[in-house]
Amino acid sequence: MATLLELDNVFKRFGGIVATNGLSFNVEKGESLALIGPNGAGKTTIFSLIMGEIRQNSGAIRFKGHDISALPTHERIKRGISRTYQVPRPFGDMDVAQNIRVGMTPDNLWQMVFGAPDLQAELEIARSVGFREEDLARTPSTLSMGDLRKLELARTLATKPEIMLLDEVFAGLTVAEIDQIAELLAEKRKEGMTFIIVSHDLRALEPLVDRAVAMTFGKAIAEGSFGEVMGDAAVRAAYLGE
Amino acid sequence: MTRVITLRQAALWLIFALVMLALPQFVSNGTMRIMIFANFLAIFAMSWDFLSGKTGYVSFGHPFLVGIGAYTTAILSYRFGVPIAVSIPLAVLATLVGGTLFFLPALRIKGTYFALVTLAFMELMYQLIQVIRPDLTGGTRGMSGIKTLVSGAAPNYYLSFGLMFVIALALWMLSRTRLGTSLDAISMNEEAVSGSGLNTTRLKLVAFMVSASVAGLGGAFYVHYLGSIAPRALFDINFVFTIIVSALIGGSATIIGPMAGAFFMTFLLEYLRPILPGSERYFVYGLIALVLYVYQPKGIFAIVDDLRNGKLRLPGRAANGDAA
Repeated sequence: MATLLELDNVFKRFGGIVATNGLSFNVEKGESLALIGPNGAGKTTIFSLIMGEIRQNSGAIRFKGHDISALPTHERIKRGISRTYQVPRPFGDMDVAQNIRVGMTPDNLWQMVFGAPDLQAELEIARSVGFREEDLARTPSTLSMGDLRKLELARTLATKPEIMLLDEVFAGLTVAEIDQIAELLAEKRKEGMTFIIVSHDLRALEPLVDRAVAMTFGKAIAEGSFGEVMGDAAVRAAYLGE
Repeated sequence: MTRVITLRQAALWLIFALVMLALPQFVSNGTMRIMIFANFLAIFAMSWDFLSGKTGYVSFGHPFLVGIGAYTTAILSYRFGVPIAVSIPLAVLATLVGGTLFFLPALRIKGTYFALVTLAFMELMYQLIQVIRPDLTGGTRGMSGIKTLVSGAAPNYYLSFGLMFVIALALWMLSRTRLGTSLDAISMNEEAVSGSGLNTTRLKLVAFMVSASVAGLGGAFYVHYLGSIAPRALFDINFVFTIIVSALIGGSATIIGPMAGAFFMTFLLEYLRPILPGSERYFVYGLIALVLYVYQPKGIFAIVDDLRNGKLRLPGRAANGDAA
């Protein structure tokens, strides 16, 4: 497998707090990696750094072998990286179809003005995350948390990513909704999508990942298969308080 | 939405144009002059809406852009004898330069801070016009005797309506493309637009440029309608509020709403004039605006939409008619 994403000795400070302390890990193409750790470990910061929403103080982030550290967020999206957020961020006054449409819109003024939206593709993306055709006209205020998570996934998929960063993708969901999203992710995995998944729901997470990296205080403390990492004494002490 | 304009919408635009073009046959010259002002206010309100209503970057200094257009063509035609056919396009170009200046703060600030900076732009322009080359600008007293394009109420009405109609249709169609959708999305969550792979800096620049060119075009035609220009009349906070309230009363980010709001505001202020000749009438329009915002913050446009969909509710009642 070829390395798709590489974090190389990445440091990020917020004033006196070190959020990411020389973190390094790789994600191979088609791999699904779990990023686990207690609250405040720096998991979301890693996602924000990979997306270019914040910039690291030192170290490099490489995608397909190219250093993307200097690129703005939208350029990273165009290269094939996309993320969801802990708290879903839909466009509140737009319906499901329009939310997906923004994700599908090419970053080209001419095409934005003179190109027509691909309604069939919008419907296919909506269906791929479990929406029905009649859901396209619904606005986010009428959606359940599970549906909002699906909308986040749909908007992310609309950007045609090669790697998806999923932040607390199961948070706030009912058991049935967790199963539905897990099934969806398993499906995407089969199709060859690469993932980094952050979740505290270890039961739902385990079958979805090939490997795990455990973090605390911005440092990786264990790396390996999910079972190995969860069996690690340092991880159990930091994460499970054992 | 597969097409930017449907047959039914095209028919509605055509009917609107025909009704407006027929109006001079039925109304007095006085009413026509009110409508001329309403047409220009609609242009300024739509210009404001394309920037502030769509992207959420609220401009309190829109007369800065209107003023660049108005002063450029006034100086060129009045002082240097440049034909209006040349001075107006040059005025729009000058406004685009001004729009770029206006845009720079939006790279770093938003919300209240951006609004205050734009207000500062207007005040700065007001001061500069009076002290920098008053021999050109006319200083505090401004300029009068500026060439007009046509004379008489009806020709001016047709000209101002024609300009307003073309701008309204163009902005409305533009707002229905994916560019319009992306600009709307910026006002809702700019980071998420960037996270959708779109260059938000470029999108905002486009919104500023379109808004500036419309403001400049409107300002240029307005000064050639009035035949005079004075800094206090143009760079005035009441003028700013009239533009903004028109857009908000009509329904921001809809283009049609600000156009309707401009007509509503103009006629409201005119009909209040005999009853309240002083500035007290601004209290009345403030009160109406307040009641409207409390009832329906999205303005007249949303109320008409609710009426059409049978969702209109009375205050204190839920949308479906159930007691709240």
